[in-house]
Amino acid sequence: MSDSILIDTGDLRFIEGHGQLVVKSHGGRIEAEFHNLEGPRFLTKYMRGKPVELAPRVASRICGLCYTVHSISSAEAVERALGMKISEDVKKLRNVLYMANNLRSHLIHLLFLSIPPVEGLISALRMRDMNIVRMGANILSKATELIEVWGGRSVHVPNVIVGGFGKAIKCKELLRPIHDLAMLSNDAEQLVRYALNLELPELERYRILAALKRPGSYPIYAEEANVAFSDGSALSPSEYYEGLEEVSKDYSTSKHVYFKKSEITVGALSRIMLNKRYLSSRARELAEEVEWGLNPFLNIKAQAIEVLHYMDELISLGGELAEIPPENLKPEDIKAHRDRGTGFFVAEAPRGTLCHYCEIEDWKVKDYRVYTPTAINSKSIENDAVELVKRFKPIGSQKLRFILEDMVRSYDPCLSCAVSLDIYE
Amino acid sequence: MKLAFYSLTSCEGCLTTLITKLGPDIEGLWNNFDIDYFKLVREPVGGSKFPKADIAFVEGAVVTNLDREHLQEIRKSSRFVVAIGTCASTGNIAYTASRNVKLGKKALSVLEVREAEPLSSVIALDYELNGCPVNAAEFIDGLLRLVNGLEPVQPDFSVCYQCKLAGNACLLDKKQICLGPIAMGGCEAACTSVGSPCLACRGPYIEADLKAYFKTLENKGLKVEDAKPLLRMFMGKKIKEVLKE
Repeated sequence: MSDSILIDTGDLRFIEGHGQLVVKSHGGRIEAEFHNLEGPRFLTKYMRGKPVELAPRVASRICGLCYTVHSISSAEAVERALGMKISEDVKKLRNVLYMANNLRSHLIHLLFLSIPPVEGLISALRMRDMNIVRMGANILSKATELIEVWGGRSVHVPNVIVGGFGKAIKCKELLRPIHDLAMLSNDAEQLVRYALNLELPELERYRILAALKRPGSYPIYAEEANVAFSDGSALSPSEYYEGLEEVSKDYSTSKHVYFKKSEITVGALSRIMLNKRYLSSRARELAEEVEWGLNPFLNIKAQAIEVLHYMDELISLGGELAEIPPENLKPEDIKAHRDRGTGFFVAEAPRGTLCHYCEIEDWKVKDYRVYTPTAINSKSIENDAVELVKRFKPIGSQKLRFILEDMVRSYDPCLSCAVSLDIYE
Repeated sequence: MKLAFYSLTSCEGCLTTLITKLGPDIEGLWNNFDIDYFKLVREPVGGSKFPKADIAFVEGAVVTNLDREHLQEIRKSSRFVVAIGTCASTGNIAYTASRNVKLGKKALSVLEVREAEPLSSVIALDYELNGCPVNAAEFIDGLLRLVNGLEPVQPDFSVCYQCKLAGNACLLDKKQICLGPIAMGGCEAACTSVGSPCLACRGPYIEADLKAYFKTLENKGLKVEDAKPLLRMFMGKKIKEVLKE
């Protein structure tokens, strides 16, 4: 049976990395292929045989947008493998880095990547209301400053190491960037309202959503939480890890990841749908105004709500952080612990549930795997593409191409992240 | 003046560093230059073809056949080509990592993956800005110099210089292998200032003396063999040239 190509997006615009979406008709049946055309950098393979201390620094290079969640997850996975216990204060400060990075990643995505094309603009810098862009860029640079103060650099932070922090910077220093963020709190609200007023296509399609969930708090990295599903079930992180399955595709440099042979969707929308009640009060109020559903485009609004939530959380943490004495943040000695073991860590990265797994022998990495949200969402992107083409076919392939691209972008895919699970053995 | 920003195989951390570090000033960059290609910020001019540019900034290593083809086209359509970041200047971790993988075994229907190379393996480069990620201040300095017809300058000192200025205790004395003495400075000693050893993410500095460095390691009671894998981490092709392997 011959394939005929219905729509080919070409090199996708406004996304992180290089990708392409192709929708084909295969003997009358519509099929979609999400091509990852980003070259692999073999970072996880590089780690094999290297000292465990290098793991967070290599893992950070997986992504230039969500680097702290990679380096923190990597440090946590190694710490678990070696049976190291991390103090509450270290967790609290890792959480600050984590939230600041999510804030930065979401703002880049909303301001520069997802919102302008939805509005039919060629660039964020051509927005009708340039104040929105200025406000957003301002918050973006303050969030980056916060990362820089604590992480030691704005991108690929060197201060996150196995066992804690390389240097216990005086927590008081965090108060200035947090204060700056607090001053921009109203700007953030305006920005979020702008995003909530966007008109988005309707594309409801049943799928199972997954996100970390722990009663009492919005999923942040540091807490022991279960992975909850929108069908009402919940699994422990280890059961979740066991269910992940790698699938190679001959059209993509990255593997797809299925959960128990089926599709799940992760991301900001999944987090909001499963954890809405734990948002900060201001974010929750705004979230109530949105009619949430199983529509991938709503991920844009979910990210906007999260921007406000992360900002509120960081601002409210402020004073508490200043009380932490630097002695509590001294790194633990790796060599004082066992030299082998396996460990994994599940966290909510900006784009969804992320899992790092490592196997260690003689304080050296033996195996390392990274299950990224984009690898998990690839299946949903393909299924949504098929659904979209079926429903919107009458508008013609030229317009359809743009809506397809908007759909892919609404997932905020990161193709550089996804190649960490490359198809080469 | 026309600028273009391209990305090959990378984490895109260099371009996002520029976006976030510029913050609201990105508007100034936009208003003062014609930026016809910057995939993270605007829709490219000219559809699938690369637009003509006076200065093209390219991040990322050359890993796929698309990277190679795009880079050759970028060279043709640009007067100046500047590599930004370590992937572009040395091949970064991928340079060493891709040499231990059986690439031929799995053929992709849409793409060909080869061993990672820095830009200079494929085209003639005009200038390099190092760092993983690139330093935004150095980028702006380099841009202003190019615009004014001056040759940009690379830091000609090692990481140790700025590390000492920051008042840090030497990590070699703490029996940790640090590549500071041979690494190109200009990073404000970001890693060593938080107690993490330097991994030379900016490549070797111009006067890097490997023999002397190895001697220093021995004098401090550290093993040269332990340092060699670290040398091959970020410095990729550049260390291959220095080690004369």
